[in-house]
Order: sequence, then C-alpha cells, then structure tokens
Amino acid sequence: MLYFIGQVLPYIAAGVFLIGVTYRVVGWLKVPVPFQLTLFPAPRDGVGRISAVGIELLFFKSLFKNDKILWLWAWSLHIALAMVIGGHVVGIYYLMNQFTLIGMTPAASQTMSAVLGTSAGLVLMVALMVLFYRRISIPEVKRLSDPADYVDLLFLLSIVITGNHMRLPTVHVHLPAIKAYLGGLFTLTPVPIPTDWVFVVHFTLVNLFLIYFPFSKMIHFAGYLVNRAMLVEAAPVYPTPAGTPLRSPFAGTVPKPTAPAGYPAGTKGV
Amino acid sequence: MKVPLHLAKEKEAQAIGFPPVAEAEHQMRLLAEIDDYRKSARSLMVMLETCTKCGACAEACHSYLGTQDFNNIPAARADLFRKIYKRYFTFTGKNLSRFIGAEDFDAETIGKWVTYFYQCNECRRCAVFCPFGIDTAEITIAARHILTRLGVMPRFMAGIAANMAKTGNNMGIPKPAILDSAEFMEDEMREETGLEIKITVDKPGSDILYIPSSADFFSNIDTMIGAAKMFHALEVNWTIPSTVLEAANFGLLFNLDVMKEQNERLREAAASLGAKLVIQGECGHGWRAAKMYTEGATGPAPFELVHVLEYAYQHLPKFKLNKLPWRVTLHDPCNYARAGDIIEQPRAIIKACVTDFVEMTPNRERNYCCGGGSGLLMDEMMEIRMQLGKKKAEQVKELGHLDYLASPCSICKAQLPHVMKHYGMGDLKMGGVMDLLGKALVWD
Repeated sequence: MLYFIGQVLPYIAAGVFLIGVTYRVVGWLKVPVPFQLTLFPAPRDGVGRISAVGIELLFFKSLFKNDKILWLWAWSLHIALAMVIGGHVVGIYYLMNQFTLIGMTPAASQTMSAVLGTSAGLVLMVALMVLFYRRISIPEVKRLSDPADYVDLLFLLSIVITGNHMRLPTVHVHLPAIKAYLGGLFTLTPVPIPTDWVFVVHFTLVNLFLIYFPFSKMIHFAGYLVNRAMLVEAAPVYPTPAGTPLRSPFAGTVPKPTAPAGYPAGTKGV
Repeated sequence: MKVPLHLAKEKEAQAIGFPPVAEAEHQMRLLAEIDDYRKSARSLMVMLETCTKCGACAEACHSYLGTQDFNNIPAARADLFRKIYKRYFTFTGKNLSRFIGAEDFDAETIGKWVTYFYQCNECRRCAVFCPFGIDTAEITIAARHILTRLGVMPRFMAGIAANMAKTGNNMGIPKPAILDSAEFMEDEMREETGLEIKITVDKPGSDILYIPSSADFFSNIDTMIGAAKMFHALEVNWTIPSTVLEAANFGLLFNLDVMKEQNERLREAAASLGAKLVIQGECGHGWRAAKMYTEGATGPAPFELVHVLEYAYQHLPKFKLNKLPWRVTLHDPCNYARAGDIIEQPRAIIKACVTDFVEMTPNRERNYCCGGGSGLLMDEMMEIRMQLGKKKAEQVKELGHLDYLASPCSICKAQLPHVMKHYGMGDLKMGGVMDLLGKALVWD
C-alpha cells in the first residue's frame, strides 16, 4: 500500500491532472469565438489588456466592487493558497533556508519560513471554513450549491488541516526525508516515502485532489483566463482591414440549416 | 407549457423559417442544437463550466432584485442550461449527475427555459460584477437561439422578424408611409426653423447612410428630427435606406441566423447606395448587433460604421447651441455602456445642450437596465416588465425633480414611460439624446 501511495499514485495523479486540465482547456480553445464579446469600458491596446486581466487576477477587482465580504475571504484564500504552493516549492527545496538567498541568517530564514507558512496555512483554513459557512448560511447561495460545491471545500479543508497539523510543535516532520522522497519522484529514482502518518495522509489527499481536479469546478482557474481573454478582445474596426480572416464558419455564406448536421431527420424522440 | 408570454403559433414560426419540432422530438433536437452551439461558440462552454456558484451575481442583477424569483439570479438562470448541458455533455454529469447538480431533460425543461431566458434582459451587468466575468447574456442568447430553432419563440419576436423580412423594418412600414412620415417631419422642421431641412430616402450617391430606428419615424420623431437637423447643420450628403429603416436587429435577441440576415441587409444597402459611412441611430442592441456582430456574422465589411452619438460628439464644437434650462439625467442603455463603447459621448452632448446635467447612481457601465432590454416589450409581460424596471425607477426617483430623462435607445424609450408611470413618475418627460441636440441647435 505504501509502495502504491509513494511510487505509483503520484504519477497517476500528475498524469490525470495534466492531461485532464489540458484536455478541457484545449477543448475550449479549439472552438471559435464567432463574435467579439468585448465588455466596455475596455482596454485599448495589448499592454492595457494584459494589465486589465493581471489586475483582475491579482486583486479580484470585479468582486471587490461587488461584495467586499466575499472578496475578503475569496481573495485571502487564493493569496494564501499561492503562498502555500510557492512555500512548498521553495521551503522543501531549500529546507526552509530559502531566505538566506536574500541575506538572512539560516536561523532567521527557518523562523521566517515557519511563520509565513503557518500563517498562510491558517488563513487558508479559516477562509475555507468561512466560505463553507457562507455556502450554507445564505439561502440563495445554499440553493445554488450542488453537493460537489461542499465537497470541493471539504476536500481542500482536509488537505489544509493535515498540512497545518504538521506545523504543530508536538509533531516532528523530517523535512530532508520528504525532500529526498519528492526529489526521487521528480528524477524517477525511487526513494521510499517517509512513514510519518500525517505526511502520508496529507500527501495522499493531495494526490486524490489532483485526480479530482480536472473533473471539478477547480477548472475555474483556467476558465477565468479563457473567459477574461474574450472580454478584453479588441472591438471590431470598420471598414474591416484588408486581410482580416473570417472569425468562424458562421461568417461564411453557408445558408441557414434547418437542423444541425448529425441530427437524424424524422427520427422519433427519446 | 405555461409560460408568461405568448408563443408564436405554428404558422407564424413556419413563416420565418422555423417550423416547430414535434414535442416528442424536443429532447433529441435540443441536445443536437446544444452540441452544435457549443462547437461553434467558445463562450458557451467556458461560461457554463467556470461558474463556482458563489452567488455574487444575485445582487448585481436587476431582474432578480425586481422579481425576487430565485431563477432570475444569473447563476441560477444559467444553471437551467448548465444542468442539461452537464447531464448530457460532461463526464461527471453522465456518471455522477446528482453530485454535480446535473438534471435530466423533462417535460418542464422547455417551459422553464422560455420563462427565465425571457426574463433576462441580456444587459451584461452580471459580467461586470462576476469575479470570472461570466456573461449570462451569452447563455441567454444561446438558449433563445436554440429554442427558436425548435420553433419555440415569442409571438412578438416572430412578428418582428416577419415584418423585417417583408419591409426591412420592425414595424412593417411600407415605403410610401416612410416617405409620408419624412415629409411630415420636414414640414414640422420648416414650421419651427423656417429652413428646408430634408430627410431624404434612398438617394443614390450619398456619402452617409443613416440607419434610424423605425420607431423614430412614428413614436420618437424628435430623435429623427434631431439627427436631420444635425446633418443639415453639418451640410453633409446623407440618406436613409428604405430597405433597412431599422437600426434594431431582433435576431440578436432570439436567433442568430435571423441576425445574420439583417447584418447582410445592412451591408447590401450600403453597397447599393454607395455609402462609405454608415451611421447607426439611437438603438441599443441594434448598435451592438451592427458594431460587434457585423464582422462575425457576415465577414469583413467595406464601410465605416459609427454611432450617431459618436458622430455628433466628434462634431460637437461645430454646432451653435443654446442650452435648454433643464435638469436632465442619462439612462445608459446596456448595449451602449457595457456592450457598445458609447459611454462619455452622450454625456458630452447633453452637457452641451442643457444647463443642468445630473448623474444617476450607479451610472456608466454599472447602470441598471430599463427592464425592457433584449426586446422584452410584449404587452402580456407588462407585470414582469414593471418588476424588471424597479431598480431603474428607484434610481430616477432618488434624483428628485427632473425635466427630462434621456435614454438614447428605442427599447428604453418604449419601456421607460410605462415604468415611470407605474412607479408614480408619469409626468417625467423622456426621449433620446439627439432630441436634445435638435432642440438646442440655433440657426443664423
């Protein structure tokens, strides 16, 4: 079992995650955008478009001007999540000595890493709990929610709680062993998984979450970008500049079909 | 099927090219149409799959705020589509339908779609406030387009499409009546100014093609007069095409094939009269359909396309104006502020024409819809229309005394008098922005 969790599951998870997300995003991108969906007032040039989407992405501007309380928790959640993910990468790779790179002493870097990681983990946990509470306490949101919406939050919460558990002073996790193990996964040179049960549970949950990810609403991270890109597209210019290609087959002179292709004419309904 | 609007009868639907599909075939045909649409427009799949059901859209939507009907929350409205989409087109929906909130097509599906996709004004306000920018109007446009292809559409829309096909305008005005009305307006202007201000129709070799709303020839003649006076003051060579006496394009509001036909019609009119510049009159969705959809629906267009308010704004310094002593506010039509890039132009024009301009709150791209948007002007929907107009009435009421409410869009102009009367402001004068320019222009 430990062998499966340690040496097989991570590759399945990474595979499903990468292929699944790519499959969905490519599925969107191969469909044309037949009309410009520019939402005004819109940025006028490339720099403006990138900064508009960037500011949205960094600060959740639309949500901020709409609902400050939801903004606070949603934004904290995502910022903390970004810190946690980044923290995992550098914290494990440098064994919490990453801040020596900016001139701190190893001891100070260890403390800094622990403080930042612990706070981000706590903010993430609280934000997830608040959003869960919000989902069950606002009648409209509760009615909108599907079982999957609760599961998404609880799933994340279970990962965050097991992660935070490793921060407890009474729990000792041997970071170099984890680094060696993860390094082995990346370099395809198997190293046994550390047998710390909290770590094993945390790690297993993360892997299961990665498998769940492409099938779930977590895909909103990609949908966000694809959607925003449509909203900031340049509006059409008239007369249309020479050499502008047709946006989609709809713009061609295809006569109006009475039924879509593939629809069997005259068949009985199901 | 119980729906709050009159549906087109079989013959009416057939007349505009959408013979109704037998009820037994509804499910199969609906799914085939969804499949077709999702493969031809990226927005549908992305917007259906990205929503996290945070509910932030509820308070942004005047339709929900006015009706307090759960299904009018943008996310819930889109969910009527999403549930079916998930059930038949996604892996999780096929296998874990309860878990992710997918639903089977049933006897109620079509009725629910008609009921709620025709209570969305396609105003795009939810897109401004949604953290992902999900535009429920996109889902509504898709749903209405698909319903029409099943032969299910409001009788009101079918009637307009039939008029359009027959006469080139929504109201079904034949050319002799167009000429009569133009002559009447010329007489009015002669009486008022003593000048020979022309409204020429179908004049070949014109530089400018002006596309008014057909309502400007009957109920909103001050808008047409304002435009005619402006062209006269600028001494330009312009004409109105009798084949497209209509800036509106209801196709955008119920079927994209019908929209495409009218985009074609505009292109043909410009070509046949040799005009290089097409100016669109005061019509909200018509402006969006022309500006944002002409290229996508009919390919590259050889003419320049400008909105009349943009055109007037560009020439504003040339006009001699005598400010009217009025307190005026501006209602931003959704299809200008959010969908058509006409935001500051009407403000500049109004400020040049009246002494006291006040903003309503919120304004510009955050303004609320009048409640008639996307062609919800059916008489049988009057009660719902008044609920949809509730936020607008509150905004106007907050401003206290007003002499004029400017709403430069024919649908707003048709909806707002009912709304204002319903909420106790029946005395308020309303009309377009070109109306004000026409009244403020002074002649040597």
